Amino acid sequence: MATLAARQSRSRPDAMHGNAMIWGAASLGLLLLLWFAVTSGSALIAPRLLPSPATLAERFATLAVTPFGGNNLLGHAAASVERWALGVLAAIAVGLPLGVMFAWLPPFRAALMPVFELLRYIPPFAWVPIAILWFGASTLTQALVVFIAAFPACVINTQLGVSQVDKVLVQAARTLGAGSWMTLRHVVLPVAARDAFTGIRIAVSNGWMALVGAELVVGKVGLGFLISQGQANDSVATVFVGIIAIGLLGVLIDSGVRWLQRVVLPWSQ
Amino acid sequence: MQAEPDATQMVNSRPAVQAGSRPAAPKMELRGISKKFSTRRGEVVALAECNLAVEKAEFVTVVGPSGCGKSTLLMIAAGLTEPTTGDILVDGLPAGAPGPKRSVVFQRFALFPSETAAQNIEFGLRVAGIDKAERAARVTELLALMGLEQFRDAYPSELSGGMQQRVAIARALIVRPEILLMDEPFGALDAQTRTVLQEEVSRLRRQMDYTVLFITHSVEEAVYLGDRVVVMSRRPGRIKTEITIPRDAAWRGKQIEDASNYSDFNDVRRQIWELVRSEIVRE
Repeated sequence: MATLAARQSRSRPDAMHGNAMIWGAASLGLLLLLWFAVTSGSALIAPRLLPSPATLAERFATLAVTPFGGNNLLGHAAASVERWALGVLAAIAVGLPLGVMFAWLPPFRAALMPVFELLRYIPPFAWVPIAILWFGASTLTQALVVFIAAFPACVINTQLGVSQVDKVLVQAARTLGAGSWMTLRHVVLPVAARDAFTGIRIAVSNGWMALVGAELVVGKVGLGFLISQGQANDSVATVFVGIIAIGLLGVLIDSGVRWLQRVVLPWSQ
Repeated sequence: MQAEPDATQMVNSRPAVQAGSRPAAPKMELRGISKKFSTRRGEVVALAECNLAVEKAEFVTVVGPSGCGKSTLLMIAAGLTEPTTGDILVDGLPAGAPGPKRSVVFQRFALFPSETAAQNIEFGLRVAGIDKAERAARVTELLALMGLEQFRDAYPSELSGGMQQRVAIARALIVRPEILLMDEPFGALDAQTRTVLQEEVSRLRRQMDYTVLFITHSVEEAVYLGDRVVVMSRRPGRIKTEITIPRDAAWRGKQIEDASNYSDFNDVRRQIWELVRSEIVRE
């Protein structure tokens, strides 16, 4: 009976997924149509403020090969992704173990939780001036801002995942002869990994958003920098190319993490 | 289904006392167990002075009204809950920390969700550091014993409740426990699945002669499976009566439906039900 229910619940999202694709495509198409109507169609909005789809596509093609602000589009995107990856990977590398220790070692939590709580209410951008003072206008500066934006989600979700593991699983492991380390490794961590992945997904998107913000303020390369250069040169098409590239890369990165979760945790579907 | 073992394979439940030696200690003995919990509304006495011995190869079932502390008693027997007073002895020695000598089957299955059926069953052998070839052989044996061959690579979330509990029983048996502790193992199953698993456990018992302490709220189940039925009082839980069920009763080895056609089965069931009923607090 439960098997049947599981099969049904698995097939239903598939059907919904099909519908959602249609609705998504329809709404995107409508947006495109509206955009065309208010720009090339009617010039209702001045080209200086909103480029037409054709202008934008052309600008995209140009920026893909021609440097603007020192780099072409790929160069800016690569710089952004590099800083983002550096900051997020550091946040995962430090945040997941810290989350596990917060949940598994109560004295450790008691000692460090107040510091963590205080720090996580400081917005990432408040660290930009300090990061500049410490590291100058380098990759490390932006990576630090990404790290600060991504770190709390890693810690909190992992801690939650570990502390919410059903006590009866821990009891079952103990009665089968597993010590604390074995129980943590074979039972608690695999179960908590699902929540840790949720944390990683949040960290990934928080980090991405904070990065673009930081790039607007500091640096000579990156998608945020491209946008600010577009604005400074009165090229609204460049600004939009940057914005759309940021959005597309964000979606791509998120689906990458989701794919990774399916591969690493096949049981958590 | 496996062939029924014939009567000559059955082993006597009580170990014979060797001439000149002291009587063997029971396989497990709970001595003077009491348990108090402190709650917001003050102290609750869950168990008061429980004494219970389980002999080697004996199947003891414990029934009592809900809330009488019978599950707490089992958790204490497993070493998972500390008693307020009293001792837990295995072969006459303090039992100490929980471990595979006293494996447990939980009401809510407690399977590791990230592991397949085979990996769940293998768990106790893996943590004991047993080599891969032997692990594989024993897992295959247990999968066959519990009728789980087709589900070897299924995750718990893909299994029905009955199949999950079969995996949990296999996981508890593979470590060859001295005593198997079962905490209302069929309480979360639907009636049909429960009946099938009751018969399955009865069959396993007749084949292999496990030592079992089995908690249930079903009088019928307690009589059907038990060599001895222990009746507990309402809270604070005490052991009220113990009733020995003949191992050679005519209905042993029959299906549970058929057992209820035997008058001796029904007599014992009625007698125990009256004892339990008198303990149920009227709301």
